[in-house]
Amino acid sequence: MSQGTPLNEAQALDWLRQLKDSGQRYYAAWWLGRMRSNHPEAVPLLIQALAERGPRPDPVSGIDEPNPIARNAARALGKLADDRAVAPLLEALESSDDGLREAAARSLGQLGALKARQPMLRRLAPGPLVAGAPRPGSSRLMEPCEALLEALGALGWQEEDGSGTITDHEPLLAVVRAYGDHERPLIRSAAYRSLLQLTRENCWGEQLVNLLLHNELQVRRAALLDLGVTGWRPAGSAIARTLAENSLKLIALRGLVENSPARNQASLSPSAAEVELLVAMDDLL
Amino acid sequence: MSSTPPDSRQVQALVDAVQAAQTADDLTGAVEDLSACAHPMAIPCLIQVLGFNNPGAAVAAVDGLVAIGTTAVPAILANLDEYNYGARAWSVRALAGIGDLRGLPLLERALAQDIGPSVRRAAARGMGGLQPHGFTAQQRQELAERILPQLKAACADEEWIVRYAVAVGLEGMDHWWQPPAAQRQRLLDTLQPLADPRQEVAPVVWLRARLALHRLTTAAPVTRA
Repeated sequence: MSQGTPLNEAQALDWLRQLKDSGQRYYAAWWLGRMRSNHPEAVPLLIQALAERGPRPDPVSGIDEPNPIARNAARALGKLADDRAVAPLLEALESSDDGLREAAARSLGQLGALKARQPMLRRLAPGPLVAGAPRPGSSRLMEPCEALLEALGALGWQEEDGSGTITDHEPLLAVVRAYGDHERPLIRSAAYRSLLQLTRENCWGEQLVNLLLHNELQVRRAALLDLGVTGWRPAGSAIARTLAENSLKLIALRGLVENSPARNQASLSPSAAEVELLVAMDDLL
Repeated sequence: MSSTPPDSRQVQALVDAVQAAQTADDLTGAVEDLSACAHPMAIPCLIQVLGFNNPGAAVAAVDGLVAIGTTAVPAILANLDEYNYGARAWSVRALAGIGDLRGLPLLERALAQDIGPSVRRAAARGMGGLQPHGFTAQQRQELAERILPQLKAACADEEWIVRYAVAVGLEGMDHWWQPPAAQRQRLLDTLQPLADPRQEVAPVVWLRARLALHRLTTAAPVTRA
């Protein structure tokens, strides 16, 4: 394995351009996303890397995921906000590698790629007992349900052609709602988050708040982050009381301040409700 | 809890309950009970809990150490865990909550150098919560001259939560500094870049800095007992 990570953008691009050392390609793909590179060559090189298949040839790398370069490229493309990535990511969404599908789904959600809505919905449509069934011999599910549910929530209701908003919500909501009964709490959390974003119905926020009391820390953490993404402000005091790291509670409360539909983007001063959230944050520092 | 202070046997029983706790929830409950008695005998046990990687219990232990106050400071300083930044963050939080000046060198080092953002943020907040009891106006001015440049430097921290904590710390400085008008302007000037959406990328940070500016410019000067 190559030692160290690239030190600058030029080196990262060199590392991704060369084909001999897959370790360098792996780290370079990660680096370009992490550093939000806006170099004109970054996206084309990452799209090329997204097509790469096969395991790392180097057994001492310590990275045991299949198609690691393609997965890192998919993750990076989600951070670079370039529409050229959408078509290759849609292709990656059809890969037989569920980990690559997961990375592609997350990135398509981050890019707001409306064309991804139907293919993602198709993946989830068989329901929690089929698409959400455990993959034999693995802790993973047949489909990357969490990523797919979250991406659907992020995409919202805008029509694929940008011509307006979808009027018939029920077909999509019915698919997502089914995952609110999944046996795994992390999948339920993703479904509630998505439903809250799509409907703004309080019942889904209340379900997330219930998960803040779950006996597994990992579940409480996920529910905190999911509430933050939705910006559902009634959760403020429950977030402050959750038994979890203050760092995560602060991220969640920041989300309530910044992501709420009630936030007046034109206002330079915090509203009374926002002051209340800021005061709760102060106590967690 | 009874209204009379607990005797040493009762405190020992509460310490034993912390040591015997089998689950994360039991531990949190036991630490809450021990913290509630705010007894100096609890200090070693509470400090130990800071290193357990149990956020609920650590919050309760910090509350207990802050309630015990200045008596706990030497033990906290003597038991810093160099290798566990979670534990170090809780120690810095406890010192920040107590506001004892003996903890200041640690807060300063943490804000300038610590790799953990949770440690830096606790240190920044702590600089706003100092309690320089018995200081003359001149001594408070000297303390402010020492701290203001450090918080100003931390306005450039790469983590939003540290910059947020700097805004809170700068607002807090006003309470112990009680600066005359011309000096207060220096506080406002230091907050200004954090409050400017063109310079500060995180909306929550500039909203908090604006709240601080609003409070510092509209509130009557704080008088303290």
